[in-house]
Amino acid sequence: MATELLADDKALREARRRRALAEMEARDIDVLVLGREANARYVTGAQRLWTAGTRPFGPGCVVVRATGAVHLVSTWDAGVPEDIPHEHLFGITWNPGNLLAWLGGIDGVAQARRVGTDSLTPRFAKLLPKVFPSAELVDAEPALEAARRIKTLEEVEAIRASTAVAETALAAAVGGLRPGTTERHLTGVFMEAMARQGVTTPATQRAVRVAGPGDRSRGGTAAIGEGDLVVFDAGVVAGGYAAEVARTWPASPAALDDTAIDLYRSAGELWDRLIGACRPDTTGADLLGVYEAEGRPPPPFPIATGLGLGFDVPVVTRDLPATAARERLAPGMVLAVTAHAADGAGRAVVRKDAVLVTAEGPEVLSSSPHWRP
Amino acid sequence: MTAAVTVPTEPDLGRMQHDRLTRLRHAMDQHGVDTLVLLGNSNVSYATGASWPLADPGRANVERPVAVVTAGDGPPHLFTPFPELAAADLGLPEDHVHGPAYPEIDEGARALGRMLAELVPAGGKVAVDELPGPMRRAGELLFPGGPPTSADDVVGAAKLVKTPDELGFLRTALRITEEAMAPVQVDLAPGVRQVDLTARFLRAVFEQGAEANILDPIFQVMPTRLAEGPWTTHGDIACPLVTTEQELAEGDVIWVDTGISYAGFSSDFGRTWLVGADPTPRQQAQFRTWKDILDAVLAVTRAGATGADLTRAALAAAGGHKPWMEHFYLGHGLGVDSAESPFVGTDLGDAYDERQVLAAGTVLVLEPLVWDDGASGYRAEEVVAITDDGWISLTDYPYDPYGD
Repeated sequence: MATELLADDKALREARRRRALAEMEARDIDVLVLGREANARYVTGAQRLWTAGTRPFGPGCVVVRATGAVHLVSTWDAGVPEDIPHEHLFGITWNPGNLLAWLGGIDGVAQARRVGTDSLTPRFAKLLPKVFPSAELVDAEPALEAARRIKTLEEVEAIRASTAVAETALAAAVGGLRPGTTERHLTGVFMEAMARQGVTTPATQRAVRVAGPGDRSRGGTAAIGEGDLVVFDAGVVAGGYAAEVARTWPASPAALDDTAIDLYRSAGELWDRLIGACRPDTTGADLLGVYEAEGRPPPPFPIATGLGLGFDVPVVTRDLPATAARERLAPGMVLAVTAHAADGAGRAVVRKDAVLVTAEGPEVLSSSPHWRP
Repeated sequence: MTAAVTVPTEPDLGRMQHDRLTRLRHAMDQHGVDTLVLLGNSNVSYATGASWPLADPGRANVERPVAVVTAGDGPPHLFTPFPELAAADLGLPEDHVHGPAYPEIDEGARALGRMLAELVPAGGKVAVDELPGPMRRAGELLFPGGPPTSADDVVGAAKLVKTPDELGFLRTALRITEEAMAPVQVDLAPGVRQVDLTARFLRAVFEQGAEANILDPIFQVMPTRLAEGPWTTHGDIACPLVTTEQELAEGDVIWVDTGISYAGFSSDFGRTWLVGADPTPRQQAQFRTWKDILDAVLAVTRAGATGADLTRAALAAAGGHKPWMEHFYLGHGLGVDSAESPFVGTDLGDAYDERQVLAAGTVLVLEPLVWDDGASGYRAEEVVAITDDGWISLTDYPYDPYGD
């Protein structure tokens, strides 16, 4: 982060925009109407205010293929790259009528035959055809997904930088672990260490949790016990790019029982095989198969997810087997890969790392130490 | 309907959800909706009482709780990646808490459609708050009764007036925020970076029980005059600008704006601070003018007043010009969303403001400002709950270093 509000670097944003325009071309999409910050950032390189949680779809960014022009909802030019001129900015509005008038007035929109949105609401499903009366409204998220799927060299560097921030904050939180402290305190330590590095936006906010039954009833305030396994789940967003690294540390190594030590061994073996499998042409099903081969059920959450500006693919989870079978890794993809070994009581050892798939095989981008028996 | 607005010190989640479901079902009935399918984080929180540490919006394809509410009786269904965060206190039966849904992925949207077929009566009218592509492609499975209508009106009508328990949780969210702000203000000094203030704030809010930070905290160094920029579409103030590693300097005027979430509620906080300096007489005068505007607005704030009554009071007290940001509002609601209905003074226009009749139990954040070109300005936010004969304050953070 800098001392002034800057747009993304020129090389980074131009490579991304070229990919987005190429996907529009390939899918015959004349105009993109984007609501998701991930997509708006991808095509504009503009830095806007971060908020947590889902946002309903609303037009916030427009790309016209014929002219290559990019239009953005932003009341000011701070954080907006110079290749988006002032006349392509539109101020924040609460009035759908004003928003539609803006959309309708954009050069090249009237001629559009196919208009793609990255999501929709019932309300905009009714309103947008008024602006594009002769256009077909199509789902553009697959086009953006395809553009974002393989990271450019500049994007990989951005993810490396984000990962370094996450790991420094993770180390600070681990440094505070001792029996008697609380999840809340350690989460605070994590967030503070993240922000001191100039990055004020988390990707996930469940940064520290005891991996065991009943963690909610503790409300994050109960003292961490001697025998507890504590998961540090570091997620930050730096320069727009998410980084995710997770480690599990024992509150007191001397207090670990044999079952817990077995969990560490299993998670370590899973991790080795999962990471080893992150090479071109491996499918999501192959990754799930690693769990099967190790005799461990995959966890009820995704074991591999794309890292990037957001809404990244793949999402590999046991609940979506057909999707996993179709997902094929390719050079330039960056994944957060999770090894997870749990016992019957809900205790778990979790290890998550950022992995770049290259033609030669996996390159692990994160390097945080992990506890080993 | 007349009822005293009270704020319980120990709000009850079970009672709150009972009351919310009653309101939701009444609104569903009014809108002819048989089933609500909710994907928005705040709507899921409202319908189920579930809350969890909110993630970056770009993670919605990976973790996105979904709530389903049917007309008639019975608890809502919750599809969640965090079942352990739901089971304990929500009182939902086991068969109403499901594993994660993936409505952003084709296979997941179809699976959700098949689940809905088992859970909700066939052929009913469905309302949704979001329609990602995969849900549109799975439309025949998800919406066999025809295209879905908007859930926004239904949830919006239900959540406009807060229950006493909602006010209680909301006040806790506000208190956590304010208690965390005190040490941040102590840190304020020349040479401190904006992000250092964020660091101190985040540490404190999480230690005090915030579930999540919901807004990259704003500690904006305000220019002396608008001409210093940045350029804006309307020529008015550029705010809020994203925090950087900029070092603060003596005499800087800082506009603070933050919010956290607790029990699914969003807080809001706004004050003006000065770096290493006491306010000058001109700055004290700005504050007094701001206070006069606020007092004028509060003097007409009560159940039955319209949004336009409030904007008129603000305009009159400010000498005829609009004392709020052109791209925002004089006031907005607060609850599960950090800015929700009622909106007062937006570009929806005067006629819209005339139609907004305040009701007892509605929460309003008032954020007038004073801009004094050449000497920067003053802005702060007040959170009030509307009552039959006025309002009660939900916040009590001091205005230091302004005022007496």
